Amino acid sequence: MSAPDTVLKVADLGVSYGAATAISRLDFEIRRGEFVAILGPSGCGKSSLLNAISGLMAPSRGRVVVDGDELYLPRSRDPRLGYVFQAHRLLPWRTVKQNLEIVLAASDVPRETWDARIDEILGILHIAQFRDSWPMRLSGGQRQRVSIARALLVDPSYILMDEPLSTLDEVTARSLRQELTGICQRTGATVVFVTHSIREAVYLADRILILTRGPSTIFEDYRVPIERPRDYDDARIAEVEADIIRRIQAPWGLGPAEERQSA
Amino acid sequence: MRIAEKRAWSVSALLLLLPAWWIAHRSTTFIASPAEVFVHLPGFLADPGTWLNIGVTLWRVAAGLALGVAAGFFAAFAMRHSRLLREVLGYYVTGALRTPSAIAAILAVAIFRGSEAGYIAVVAFITFPYMAVGLRDGLESADRELDELAQIYHLGLWPQIRHITAPFVAPFIFSALRNAHALAWKVIVVAEIFGAARTGFGAAFEHAWNYMLMVEVHLWLLVFMAIVLLAEYGVIRRLETFVFRWRG
Repeated sequence: MSAPDTVLKVADLGVSYGAATAISRLDFEIRRGEFVAILGPSGCGKSSLLNAISGLMAPSRGRVVVDGDELYLPRSRDPRLGYVFQAHRLLPWRTVKQNLEIVLAASDVPRETWDARIDEILGILHIAQFRDSWPMRLSGGQRQRVSIARALLVDPSYILMDEPLSTLDEVTARSLRQELTGICQRTGATVVFVTHSIREAVYLADRILILTRGPSTIFEDYRVPIERPRDYDDARIAEVEADIIRRIQAPWGLGPAEERQSA
Repeated sequence: MRIAEKRAWSVSALLLLLPAWWIAHRSTTFIASPAEVFVHLPGFLADPGTWLNIGVTLWRVAAGLALGVAAGFFAAFAMRHSRLLREVLGYYVTGALRTPSAIAAILAVAIFRGSEAGYIAVVAFITFPYMAVGLRDGLESADRELDELAQIYHLGLWPQIRHITAPFVAPFIFSALRNAHALAWKVIVVAEIFGAARTGFGAAFEHAWNYMLMVEVHLWLLVFMAIVLLAEYGVIRRLETFVFRWRG
């Protein structure tokens, strides 16, 4: 039985490509307003999981339930979600505003409210001044902010973020991480955040789903024991990070070198 | 480079033709002098017959090109979505691509017995493979990640074509269009000459040549160059600048 505020429920999920199994079996639930990070070694099936819970690719087995509607059934509704990709995937031939408008056009948001909604979201992300700019004129961080704005725009059931800060320089990534926590708290967004960085996961998430090596299962559903607001350089973040590294050593098959790299 | 500077270079490049032309005139007996040709230019342009011939050829090129573009689009989409059609249409596209313009012109004129449709058909036949191949290449390189974006945000088929697919393949379309356009002008003149057309640029040019009216031959050549350059720089490039204004 799911909790009443469950947004996403994944039950007995398996993904295979022919004879190769990417995800062996996954079961988890995410509640409204939660920030859940997914942490796993390369090739453990994180992308397959994201595809399955975003409606892009039907799993080989199991169920994905979004707001009480099961995906991949013949008459199931399309899930309303936001997606922040690793690369921003903005359409370069459309201005920032136009990039946001095509998402609104495909939703049921009334047209007369578009301008106000766009201004509000761009304001939240501190990029209102770039409303009529072409994406090519923006920096990497600004483009990723637009991508986050696009994900927030349609009031999604949840937002999937696939290593959205991994291509940014560390200074920009730090600033965006900090803002991301504030934005999620203000908007009450539910987020599934895939990352390779343990520290990033500890800093951002309420819970961390740690996957095993592929074919993956959940090795541990880890609740981050640090209250908000958090400081990225806080010693407690480093302690939790070290604790997670200790835990994943055996299931991820890490030696000292890999351990340092993952950290 | 500033616009004024760019224009100055363009005009200088065109003016370079004048000494070359003058040297050719001095070295042969059948090339008229630039001065003689420019003296007759105002009268030539004031003649309604000149504009009638230009208009007729322009119509044939525009109609043939439109048909060729439409056929090319159809062929590209068909080849992209069906393996069978890809095999079948692939032969036609390759065949059309390798057919010499003169042969295509003779065949079209013979099949359509010198009717207006023949001139339009030959332009369409010669230009369609360029559009088909160009657009097919564009569609094949379409970004799968942008398809996923469309799927995530539930864009319908038409919005996806309009906002994602079409702008993505636009550079391929323009490249193909430029080739097709240049080829259309070349083939229409050949077709008009072979088809013994009564009107049109090729007909007027052939008449002047047969009667050795060399000044008129030169005037028609100048007009031809002006039209092709105007279409390229005045229409296609301007349209391209507008479509790709996001490149900055």
